[in-house]
Amino acid sequence: MRLVSLPRRVRSAVLADPAVRALAMLDLPRWRLAGAVGAGSLALGCAVGLAATSAWLIARAAEQPPVLALSVAVVCVRALGLGRGVFRYVERLVSHDVALRGVVDLREGVYRRLAAADTSAVARLRRGDLLARLGADVDALADLVVRVLLPALVALVTGLATVVLATALLPAAGAVLAAALLVAGVGAPLLAGRAARAAEVEAADARGAVAAESLAVLDGADELAVAGQLTARQDALASAQARLDEAAERAARPAAAAKALVQLALGAAVVGSLVVGVPAASDGALSAVHFVVVALLPLAAFEGVAALPAAATSLVRCRAAAARVLALVDGAPTAAPVVEQTPDGTTIRARGLSVGWPGAAPVLTGLDLDLEPGATLAITGPSGCGKTTLLLTLAGLIPPVAGTVTVGGVPVHELSDDQRRGLVALAAEDGHLFATTLRENLRLASGAVDDAVLLAALGQVGLAAWATALPEGLGTVLGSAGTDVSGGERRRLLVARALLTGAPVVLLDEPAEHLDAGAATAVLDELLTGVEGRTVAVATHRSDRALADAVVEMAPAGRCR
Amino acid sequence: MRPLDPRLLRTSRAARRYVVLTALLGGATAVLVVVQSLLLARAVAGVTMRGDAWSDVATSAGWLAVVLALRVGVVWVQERFAHRAATQTIGQLRAAVVAHAARLGRRGLGDRSVAVTELSTRGLDGLEGYLVTYLPQLLLAALLPPALLLVMLRADLLAVATIALTLPLVPLFMALVGWATRDAALRRQDSLQALGAQVLDLVAGLPTLRALGRATGQASRVRAAGDAARAATGATLRMAFLSSLVLEVLTTLSVALVAVGVGLRLVSGSLDLETALVVLLLAPEVYLPLRAVGASFHASADGVAAAEQAFAVLETPLPAAPAREPGRADGAPVRLVDVSVEQPGRGVLAPAGLSMSLAPGRIVALAGPNGCGKSTAAAVLLGLAAPTSGTAVPVAHRRVAWVPQRPLVVPGTLADNVRLATPDADDAALERAAERVGLAPVVAERGWDAPLGQGGVGVSAGQRQRVALARVLLRVEAGADVVVLDEPTAHLDAGTEAVVLATIRELAAAGCAVLVVAHRPELLAVADEVVAVRSAAVDAAAPAVPAPTRPGDDLSPTTSDDTKDGALCVS
Repeated sequence: MRLVSLPRRVRSAVLADPAVRALAMLDLPRWRLAGAVGAGSLALGCAVGLAATSAWLIARAAEQPPVLALSVAVVCVRALGLGRGVFRYVERLVSHDVALRGVVDLREGVYRRLAAADTSAVARLRRGDLLARLGADVDALADLVVRVLLPALVALVTGLATVVLATALLPAAGAVLAAALLVAGVGAPLLAGRAARAAEVEAADARGAVAAESLAVLDGADELAVAGQLTARQDALASAQARLDEAAERAARPAAAAKALVQLALGAAVVGSLVVGVPAASDGALSAVHFVVVALLPLAAFEGVAALPAAATSLVRCRAAAARVLALVDGAPTAAPVVEQTPDGTTIRARGLSVGWPGAAPVLTGLDLDLEPGATLAITGPSGCGKTTLLLTLAGLIPPVAGTVTVGGVPVHELSDDQRRGLVALAAEDGHLFATTLRENLRLASGAVDDAVLLAALGQVGLAAWATALPEGLGTVLGSAGTDVSGGERRRLLVARALLTGAPVVLLDEPAEHLDAGAATAVLDELLTGVEGRTVAVATHRSDRALADAVVEMAPAGRCR
Repeated sequence: MRPLDPRLLRTSRAARRYVVLTALLGGATAVLVVVQSLLLARAVAGVTMRGDAWSDVATSAGWLAVVLALRVGVVWVQERFAHRAATQTIGQLRAAVVAHAARLGRRGLGDRSVAVTELSTRGLDGLEGYLVTYLPQLLLAALLPPALLLVMLRADLLAVATIALTLPLVPLFMALVGWATRDAALRRQDSLQALGAQVLDLVAGLPTLRALGRATGQASRVRAAGDAARAATGATLRMAFLSSLVLEVLTTLSVALVAVGVGLRLVSGSLDLETALVVLLLAPEVYLPLRAVGASFHASADGVAAAEQAFAVLETPLPAAPAREPGRADGAPVRLVDVSVEQPGRGVLAPAGLSMSLAPGRIVALAGPNGCGKSTAAAVLLGLAAPTSGTAVPVAHRRVAWVPQRPLVVPGTLADNVRLATPDADDAALERAAERVGLAPVVAERGWDAPLGQGGVGVSAGQRQRVALARVLLRVEAGADVVVLDEPTAHLDAGTEAVVLATIRELAAAGCAVLVVAHRPELLAVADEVVAVRSAAVDAAAPAVPAPTRPGDDLSPTTSDDTKDGALCVS
């Protein structure tokens, strides 16, 4: 977007607007966009042209000229009647294509950005949030093109063209039309935008309250009935609904004013054209035929601006979506360039280590730890005490709050992605299984190895029999019909995948979750004793520490004992 | 759903009023459009044909201004009340659905409960587009064309014939296009969803790929999946836009044909300019509402589907028994004699042949494996479920304090939540209860006014349980003498568990009849009597053996509760 002519402060404010930034990131091909605007303008132009030409045709016909004198006008009217639909079709195809391509570009761009970002920024992203922002929010930005940018540009082009036409016939009529279009084209979208913001902000709170009260009644119907409070709770829902009604009422006022303003401007243009046109026609400055065109043109001139209030509403929504997407990008600074240090061995050493989420209080302080190659570590403690945070720190995915943790003498957080892949593997508890075959999911870690290797890893977590019993064995697509993966199976698949990386240090988060006592013990035994020659750290809320060489016991208060 | 579902009007008063108002405004619009066209045509024709000066047309122009101002008013009123009526209608529908679903209960809703929650919290909002945009245009489309054609009938028969011939073509061709593209659209829908899901799958896996150090190679896959989804979407849109192409071409071309026809008749002198102008001005107005209906049809589809779902819930008959308020058991000993409850769809009785009774001052525990019917037995005792066979003497609701497995947290403050079952409890009682169940530190830290969010945001499982226990104490203080606790110590740390166990003992010592659904040995240990609950296949007396979930699974998965409890089974 080139905004050179604006003062610098305005320009930087405009460029910082989420909608403008998102538009820049959509990286729209200019010529295609211009094509869409052109087609849209021609479509609307056909409508205006049809009104003007048919007015001319009828006024001229009333003078009863030879029919031949009308033949050009007749052809024009028919062509314009056809053109509107056809150009509109073209406009929609091109604009949607441009928008959808932009969305694909934007999504890829954000993905690349996150893939290259500082690991701690990505590690803290919640899956639902990521899905919402890279999914629905990015998709919503297609509207920025189709429903905001395009109608605005089309209204501008056709509005200008119509004013030029009217001015050519009678300058005063052009001025009247220009003023009316300006009022409708600027005032109405401003009002509609205000209504949309009120609806988004105020009504969103009220809507949330209604949803919460509905949920309370639906979830707790039995409990409320036994407590004799069902009616009282339904009353609470009713009053939340009343607040929502009020908020909608407040939003409806500017929305109604926006629509009424367009209609008002149209009416003013019709009457105004008569006021300037009739005297001009009387004193001969305007021919009778042209007078008819001037008088009827305003009725067709407002279709473009009439679409602008809806565009303003879309803009408010798109801007919110854009802000959420941009927060994702801004919250993920590009990783600092790594000074390649080569680790010497795979010994893990922590000194005075404090761990915690960046910006939050540490969950563990003052940890000293030495894990020689092949050693095993159990991290125990009640759920929620920070075991996962410690594992992420050991894996180098979040930086230590204080102190150091090194592998082979190099701080783990400073390893490059490639180095880390060869040294440390983490099976996070919320690790993702992709909707592809079991084989592909495992090979993601191992590279192209043969099935025997994959089955051996599955055997280590007690899933060999399960895998071979699947409808198509390793070729079964996970999550497809009839192959739902249970919580316990999922966890162990993630462990198998971590083992398959071949990394000498393996960090496992609650590998035995969702298993009954016997099975859990078997899995933990195997992992803590059976994985030869590799350093294994296991976070578990169970207290099977006897098998591990070292134990970090975390207390809810965050001290290690 | 039909274009205007009578059930919507029956269910919502706001919808009825809105439809009447919109119809009236639609009628007013029709009249104003006609008058506007007549006035404008007269003024323009006067100037053109008779050489009228401004003084001659000033009156017409003045009335024209009045009519245009009235149209502004009509637009304002319509828009102003459309949004209000939409939120009110949605609210009334929501209240009806929530009330009906609450009377059906979780058991009555079965596997629809998630859908009903989605519908009540979000889905119904989709009706706004239908009510605000689609419905007014639909009514206009029904009112405006006949009225305008009637006026034009007096002016020019041929133009009316042209319009009357082309008008029905619009819905006809749209239906034809819709019919021709529907199968292809449906076919594409699935692949479109699959392609979209592929993109989201890669997105969801990003942190995992990062942890494995494999993220960088995947951006091109995101692009490839995105491009595939885009191509499929584009193909679908090309077809979807076809119907609007037909709509636009038919309506605009018809207007053009009318204009040409009128022009040619003007040349031959069979028509005067004023009439011709009236026809020219009215012709596009005839097609306008039809076009608007076509344009807003898709926007209204979500809302219509949500309304369908809502009516499906509302038309689900309420179960005949049991009554919500048993009442009759006041003072009588609460007991079950040989009670069995059939679990719908599972073919098991759970519980099967259960007998037990509660007595003041005694703690009775129901024990047994998952799915054996412990919670159902409690529901029968509370009068929430009816026994399939056997005799139940349930407890009157006003005598009982019940804590279900996952106690409800309502939106509001901490104090609101503790007072949930006893809104009249005074502050002193609240403080006492908080002290006894170990809630006092939370109160000290966050205050009674701390807001608790939807679904219990901001409360841990332990705090939730303490709030529920405080409710029980207040309820007992208010006269309840039967306490039913469903797994009150599940998910709790040792500290909270000790508080719960102590409170249970206190309640019994104070003379309450206490029933606990128990898993953990610590909880079973405080019971005076442990009743083993068992399930049985419907057609056999033998206890049902829970089948392994999946063949070939050597480590049968169980819930995490069971893991913690060491898989206690009493049967």
